[in-house]
Amino acid sequence: MMARTVYRLSLRLLVTRGRLAALVAVGAVAILLGGVVRAGGADVDKGKAVYDVLDAYCLGVLAPIVALVFASAALGDPAEDGTLVYLWLKPVARWQIVVGALAASLTVALPLVVVPSVVAAEASGVGHGVVGAAAAAGTLSVLAYTTIFLGLGLKVKRALVWGLAYVLIWEGAVARTGRGAARLAVHVYARSVLARMADRPEPKLAIAPFTSVFVPLVVAALAVVLAIWLLTRAEVA
Amino acid sequence: MTIVAEKVTKTFRDVVALSEVSFSIGPGVTALLGPNGAGKSTMLRILCGLTPASEGSVEILGRDPRRDPGLFRSVGLVPQQEALFDPLTGLQFVLVGAELQGLADPGAAARRAVELVELDVTDRRPVRAYSKGMRQRIKVAHALVHDPEVVLLDEPLEGLDPRQRLRMIDLFRRLGDEGRTVLVSSHVLDEVEKFGSRVLVIAQGRLAAEGDFRAIRELMDDRPHRLRLGTDRPRELAAGLLAGGVVVGAWVTNAESITVDTVDVAAFRRALARVARERSARLREVVPLDDDLDSVFRYLVARR
Amino acid sequence: MTEARIHDAGYRRYTGVRLGPSQAIRSLTRHTAQRVMGLRRPARYKALPFLVVLIAYLPAAVFVGLAAFLPHQLRGQLPKVSDYYGFVTAAIVLFVAFVAPESMCPDRKYRTLSLYLAAPLDRLSYLRAKAQAVVAILALVTVGPPVLMLIGLSLQNAGPKHPSDLAIVVVRILASGTMLAVFYTSISMAVASLTDRRAFAAAFTLILVAGSVTVAGTLVYALGATHSLVVLNLSRVPFEMSQRIFGTYDNDLRGVPTVVIVLGTVGWFALGCAVTWWRYRRLQVTR
Repeated sequence: MMARTVYRLSLRLLVTRGRLAALVAVGAVAILLGGVVRAGGADVDKGKAVYDVLDAYCLGVLAPIVALVFASAALGDPAEDGTLVYLWLKPVARWQIVVGALAASLTVALPLVVVPSVVAAEASGVGHGVVGAAAAAGTLSVLAYTTIFLGLGLKVKRALVWGLAYVLIWEGAVARTGRGAARLAVHVYARSVLARMADRPEPKLAIAPFTSVFVPLVVAALAVVLAIWLLTRAEVA
Repeated sequence: MTIVAEKVTKTFRDVVALSEVSFSIGPGVTALLGPNGAGKSTMLRILCGLTPASEGSVEILGRDPRRDPGLFRSVGLVPQQEALFDPLTGLQFVLVGAELQGLADPGAAARRAVELVELDVTDRRPVRAYSKGMRQRIKVAHALVHDPEVVLLDEPLEGLDPRQRLRMIDLFRRLGDEGRTVLVSSHVLDEVEKFGSRVLVIAQGRLAAEGDFRAIRELMDDRPHRLRLGTDRPRELAAGLLAGGVVVGAWVTNAESITVDTVDVAAFRRALARVARERSARLREVVPLDDDLDSVFRYLVARR
Repeated sequence: MTEARIHDAGYRRYTGVRLGPSQAIRSLTRHTAQRVMGLRRPARYKALPFLVVLIAYLPAAVFVGLAAFLPHQLRGQLPKVSDYYGFVTAAIVLFVAFVAPESMCPDRKYRTLSLYLAAPLDRLSYLRAKAQAVVAILALVTVGPPVLMLIGLSLQNAGPKHPSDLAIVVVRILASGTMLAVFYTSISMAVASLTDRRAFAAAFTLILVAGSVTVAGTLVYALGATHSLVVLNLSRVPFEMSQRIFGTYDNDLRGVPTVVIVLGTVGWFALGCAVTWWRYRRLQVTR
């Protein structure tokens, strides 16, 4: 199938030594912090400590940035430098191009986020509940961010900087101010899943159990449809 | 006709890039000419469906290139931009094209295409290390890997050295002789003449002329034809031609030649031998100076 | 001989004054600042920088507006100028992540660095010009908003009462705002010098700043380590330094000596400069 060729090509273009080394190092920091939590004294609430690391670092920084770097580049880079023409002028359905690019982004982003998160949780010695929570919340988070930023790369020049603006300004500041804004922040959904599965107290602005999984999945599906629509209507260089 | 454009107009905000351009092209090589900013690349992009026309329509093989990706089994484009998939080798770059075309044996097709443009299939360097000429040739290979019926090329000779250009021109001519429809956009006019004589001239977003460029020249009766006459008696011959009323201007360029302007080439030809005999002038050469594509192009563009 | 004049002799050599390296530095600084802010470029290049600047000034406008409407006895509830940065940290960090990559990466990506070095600029003066531009732009969001707030409050008689107090506040604003701009310039230029791609430089700047928050926080909390490890927190140490300039401190960091904060600030600054210089000194400029 053509999507497989697009997948292999996108993977080849996305994965560069520099990018990989830098993001592996960033993930390694999470693992180090997990070890630091384990090394903490008896008076330290290790469950809270590892939860804070997973929430603030893995879900708040690692997941959105990794997803943004790869997803915005998957279609955004070819659109910007004009090489999209070599995919466009082929008898390949547009959805296959999008699916191939998405699959490549997820192939790279998921391990770079979920593996360090899971290893950090394991390294903290808190228990398997946290490990499962890290995997689930990390996966959900990467899936949602990747699908959203995939289309952003097609629509907007400098997609990565606008994505950073969303992460910092919207999710980092505005979404903390109220329930309405919180419902438009991926991090809030992922945090709700993390807290529930890690058996932590419900965070402020938490989302209900079913909604915290269902909505990101629906948003991800809609984002893919939107990316296909944008690609079909794109003005290719 | 393979390619049909019907009143194609393209506007970018306030800028009219193309205005009601209509033409149809069949098998063979056609050159798309025009000064920078005339709208050639925009026209090619619309023909490939890369951008929609603001008004009007285009069809290739009776199908809409914007809505029918299946059409691209029969179309190859060599785009103008230089960017390629940098980490891939040349062969890998063409192989991707062959795979996406759904070819039965993409590897063999890719090797054939790379050899066709005289590049080395065993070269393991990534395309980012290629020279400009090599990048251009690998783009041509990518466009031809699936044996398309229609080939569109945007400035394909750019960056090639003279020998490579001649080889590429040969290739285009061969593709045209095989019955494919080849549309080439180029500025290198003296070499475009070697593709063949069919041209589409675009200037300021409008189609200025189409057809055989010599026939176009004949139609330009507001421009005198200029010729150089080699002779041993330049002054006498010039005086005779002026007196006979068959030239509108004549000047002696050196001791052995004159340049004349005439509005009626046929009458001039009929009168030349008689005047030369009357003035006892020996004729060594009669060379049209503005019968070439370059002159036609300049006249058409300068009219605006 | 009849009189004659040539009005246009075509190309001629320039025989005027040559202003030298300092002018080259000034030109590059000005050009870089214009480019980053999207001036003399299409509107879409202005959108992000102007949006961020607007967000940075918004609290100042709000507080001044509130001062106009609040009764006199409640004006004391308004945030102080020294607390201003707490409201716009996200905007400042986003701006930091954007400005240095935008000013430095394209020169390497599009190979125009060699053109600059063919002018009366060497690598050090080139970096100096770039640093000046980045500091000036960052100062838009680190110096400008507190100044606006101070002016607004003063006009509402809600600011410092005596001219000497006012002067001290102004000096403190300039010092802390400039310190923040210079600090983040060195960090972001260091990251931008490591990659040609603006987007990745921006992403890694953000990871570095946001990540350091978690690292420092976990070390302090999990290990019960000394709060002095706040110097590892790139989002906190410069703002704490700013507080110290105003003669205040964050309650959490009451026990951290000012000299530690100063050393941490200076240390990061020096590291950023060192990385940037190390990178550019070794850079191959032409092929």
